[in-house]
Amino acid sequence: MDALVAQYSRPAFADEAAVSDDQLELAQSMPPLSLKFALPPVAQPSSWLRSMTDDYSNPNCPIKIAHGTTTLAFRFQGGIIVATDSRATAGNWIASQTVKKVIEINKCLLGTMAGGAADCQYWLAYLGMQCRLHELRHKRRISVAAASKILANLVYSYKGMGLSMGTMCAGVTPQEGPALYYIDSDGTRLAGNLFCVGSGQTFAYGVLDAEYRYDLTDQEALELGSRSILAATHRDAFSGGFINLYHVKEDGWVKHGFNDTNPIFWRTKLEKGEFSNVTADIE
Amino acid sequence: MGSIFQGAPIPEGPGYSFRETPAVRQAPGPSSAAGERQHGFYPYTDNGGSTLGISGADFAILAGDTRSTSGYNINTRYAPKLYKIGGDAPDTPPIALSVVGFAADGAALAERLDTIVKMYRYQHGKPMGVAACAQRLSHLLYMKRFFPFYVAAILAGLDESGRGALYSYDPVGSYEREQCRAGGAAASLIMPFLDNQVNFKNQNVPGSGQGHALEPRKPYDLPRGTVEELVQDAFTSAVERHIEVGDGLQMMIITRDGIEEVYRDLKKD
Amino acid sequence: MEVLLGITGADFTIVAASKAAMRGATILKSSDNKTRDLNKHTLMAYSGEAGDTVQFAEFIQANVQLYSMRNETHLSPSAVASFVRGELAESLRSRKPYMVNLLLGGVDPITEKPSLYWCDYLAALSKVPYAAHGYAQYYCLSILDKHHHPDINFEQGMKILRMCSDELRRRLPIDFKGLIVKVVTKDGIREEEFVDDKMITSA
Repeated sequence: MDALVAQYSRPAFADEAAVSDDQLELAQSMPPLSLKFALPPVAQPSSWLRSMTDDYSNPNCPIKIAHGTTTLAFRFQGGIIVATDSRATAGNWIASQTVKKVIEINKCLLGTMAGGAADCQYWLAYLGMQCRLHELRHKRRISVAAASKILANLVYSYKGMGLSMGTMCAGVTPQEGPALYYIDSDGTRLAGNLFCVGSGQTFAYGVLDAEYRYDLTDQEALELGSRSILAATHRDAFSGGFINLYHVKEDGWVKHGFNDTNPIFWRTKLEKGEFSNVTADIE
Repeated sequence: MGSIFQGAPIPEGPGYSFRETPAVRQAPGPSSAAGERQHGFYPYTDNGGSTLGISGADFAILAGDTRSTSGYNINTRYAPKLYKIGGDAPDTPPIALSVVGFAADGAALAERLDTIVKMYRYQHGKPMGVAACAQRLSHLLYMKRFFPFYVAAILAGLDESGRGALYSYDPVGSYEREQCRAGGAAASLIMPFLDNQVNFKNQNVPGSGQGHALEPRKPYDLPRGTVEELVQDAFTSAVERHIEVGDGLQMMIITRDGIEEVYRDLKKD
Repeated sequence: MEVLLGITGADFTIVAASKAAMRGATILKSSDNKTRDLNKHTLMAYSGEAGDTVQFAEFIQANVQLYSMRNETHLSPSAVASFVRGELAESLRSRKPYMVNLLLGGVDPITEKPSLYWCDYLAALSKVPYAAHGYAQYYCLSILDKHHHPDINFEQGMKILRMCSDELRRRLPIDFKGLIVKVVTKDGIREEEFVDDKMITSA
């Protein structure tokens, strides 16, 4: 009987166990490795979240999450080229023109960012941590296949919760050589030679497919990557800013600049005569 | 009790503080009670206001207006949006946080970050650097990815080399170190001004060429006096054109010597 | 997933349209011709709401030809474009508007200058050096941005068209059954043979 009474006569503050747990967690200054995310107290957290944050289905949603992108990566004889634009948009508002959409996971692995900026940033950082742990445990670097699978399994476990990411993992390892994987928040994971991801993907594909060959020289490949992003920034309003260019080689990646698109566009137009639809004279 | 609610505003009217509550969709007929009600849960309100941050060579400035609104009502003319983070022990590197959006979420966030930075100090016997603090704030925001804080945060401090450091955040924690950033209701008014006056966007060096050969003007570290004037100008201008901004301007100037707080009046209409 | 493409060059205009006639998930015909010759040197390609397309195109065709007979002179491509836009704009404000997207290609018989007009179902008309309608816009405009120059010759024009066609065959999820290609020069309109039986593989 006493046990029964005790069970039902807890003081009111005992119900705040969750809160004190929270506080304990906060008091430990290291972020918890266990991934405990706060959920809204409703029956369908994912549809609630969508109504609050999806500016596509509801342009008046209160919380606008940064979106919109063009990213590309392709394999060729000299390694892998990774290129992105740098614009982040929240609805029609350009939230930033200087986003770093290539995430340096480690010296030999790159990730790209399309979709929710925070999702990509957080989970690719998490992937970086997992890759380092793998290195420490197994005394050798993780393969790109394994790294991409960690990410794919991870996002798959959150399927339907509203994560939004389209990412590519590019890297070189002694076992695999140059390897490229596409992973998205649906759980798709594909190995391949060439991917473009984001709202401007089709425009980048257009330029890239037309002149892509596996035996491109390093210089040609860098130029083609950069030109494909330029094409997308020209036709897709959600893409723009700067062209971020990387080359992944056997001994790690090399950065090839973060260059403003505007002077590149005018140079391309005036020196090569491209973009003949842009004209200043009125008939 | 009744007298308290005598002057209560009409629900859904312009003065109601939860006016952004999505309308409850009700299907006609007897089935309406069955399950047609959608999203009755709306735990947010927008308290308006605007913030801005600019970093310089050896300082960073955070600023925010002090008006708090709900709908078209002004709750108070002095509700600070700026928070000092990590206490004020003598060797603590100064860090300040600004949060704009839903004030309650902002206060909760600032409190959590403050606790974390303090606990870090107790446990490690050394203060937390601004870069670590910035990443921790990102994680704090992301921990509520599925139930977000309705805030736009800006964190300011000094980096390990003593330069001004400014980090800006979206509601779910994507962040970036920047030279300048405006947040909140008047972000769309202030940010273009900052682009032009801090990063010299769309400015050319006069006489450096014709047409496309014109050289863009290169940004440099602005002196503190200039930055303070820019902040003041940004806010007086925003007050002229945005109803949710006004009353007072609170500034925190972060230097090697700590955080200097300045309050200036803004128009109160 | 209908494809319309147009390219102008130094002395010609190429207009291409997909050959598939689709209804829901079915391809009813794989040799459909979505173009109509309006007069000796003006050509129209169309896509959009089934039924509306042919009705509108043939209505325009008949009226442009009527004008030629009455006045013993041909309307210039720019005059045809303005007329078409006017008809479409009037229809848009009627009870049952035509839902038709158009490309108008031509060569002016007097100046011998090629021209191309892009017009959507809302009657927004613009004169452009190259154009596309539908999903083709997403894949082909960037190719055309890069490879098109106003003074290209016919062979170069066809080469760019093939780049576009290859890209569409590579990336569009539905087979559009190839393209009908028509060319307008100062000598009139002709159909150009366009073989694309080569296997296209993506990288």
